[in-house]
Amino acid sequence: MSEIIVGISDFKVSNNINDILITYALGSCVGVTIYDPVVKVGGLLHFMLPESSLDMRKAGENPAMFADTGIPFLFKTCYELGAKKKRMIVKVAGGASILDDANFFRIGQKNVTAMKKLFWKNNVLIEGEDTGSNCNRTFSIHISTGQAFVRTAHNGTRELV
Amino acid sequence: MISDKILKSIKNIPAFPAAAMKVMALIDDPNYSITDVADVVKYDQAITANILRICNSAYFGLRHKIVTINDAVMRLGQQNIVRAVQAAGVSTFYRKAKGYGLEANKLWEHSVGVALMTQILSKRIFKREDARLYTTALLHDIGKIIMGEFVDESFPQIHDLVSREGISFLDAEEKIIGINHADLGGRIASQWNFPKAMTDAIIYHHRPDLMQDEDNSGAWLVYLADQACIMMGIGLGSDGLAYKGLSEVIIKFKLRQKDFEECIMLMLEDLDRAREVIGMV
Repeated sequence: MSEIIVGISDFKVSNNINDILITYALGSCVGVTIYDPVVKVGGLLHFMLPESSLDMRKAGENPAMFADTGIPFLFKTCYELGAKKKRMIVKVAGGASILDDANFFRIGQKNVTAMKKLFWKNNVLIEGEDTGSNCNRTFSIHISTGQAFVRTAHNGTRELV
Repeated sequence: MISDKILKSIKNIPAFPAAAMKVMALIDDPNYSITDVADVVKYDQAITANILRICNSAYFGLRHKIVTINDAVMRLGQQNIVRAVQAAGVSTFYRKAKGYGLEANKLWEHSVGVALMTQILSKRIFKREDARLYTTALLHDIGKIIMGEFVDESFPQIHDLVSREGISFLDAEEKIIGINHADLGGRIASQWNFPKAMTDAIIYHHRPDLMQDEDNSGAWLVYLADQACIMMGIGLGSDGLAYKGLSEVIIKFKLRQKDFEECIMLMLEDLDRAREVIGMV
């Protein structure tokens, strides 16, 4: 098994059953895993902010930075490896917030909302979700099985189902 | 009481590097010259070596390799050389940092991120950079280098308190261990004879609203920069995001959400270019 690290504003896709895609330290950022079990193609996106309208140039250079550009890009890249939208299993984690969250800081909630809006508009179901709260999450997907795991300091590693 | 043991271990922390201390005093004088900085630094071999490493890093993007401290000073200019001296001086304390479920250099990476963010915010809000604030930000979590092992030992109790009572990780540290990492950092800064504004900014970096000195905007900038790095997961530890959000910071600095998000993007770019600085630990 080899671990492929996904950074902030980054994504990786794979069809190698020996790969584990993993992203560390999701705070208010959100991790999205998608997986097509038939062709065993999967991907992991770690986006940082909700909307590309903030900086279209940066969104062009790195679509993975924003929910509304990163998620379509993740899907398209998996299609190139033979994955099909109707078979995709989608799981999400992250979007945490600081305490007594003031409007200003609500990046975590805004990220989750932007992501859900996008999935809803495109008729995509989220099959596993661990979002919100104030914890630091590590998120990973095994390409061999499509299993996604969330690790936190207080709960250890748990499969996201 | 565990906190007695902690207070004793503060005494074992080495002195703050004299060269970095002198540079801090120098920059207080508005007429300081860049050669004064070079004169102070060249007698400290460890700092000199680190500065040359930073100067030759991609962050500064210089074409020719720099081999002497005088060259470094000439090429980098005032602001960058001060930043480099302070990063080189402070990094030594983070070398053995453990705890909060973090790998060795993650706390340092977090500190560099916060320091870079304070400069981005300061430029946007006050139209200037602030070298002293940069140093303060590098040191804001210095208490964690001692607290780490105690927090790891007591993590289940601390986390239980945070999730059951909804209190901040900072308050839970104080309840379970007897002192929190910000107060502990303040004690270390006092031991180093840091100026009060810096020590206060370290003590109040999670609660600038409790600070008596309302003119200390540096403490608020460190707070805001820290929150940004915590939200972005930069060097994020087992304490997660369990810290208090203070909405008055928005009014204080007249920042819009968009400003804040733009500053975050700039900080991540700067952090990307600062890999050599982060690699010092």
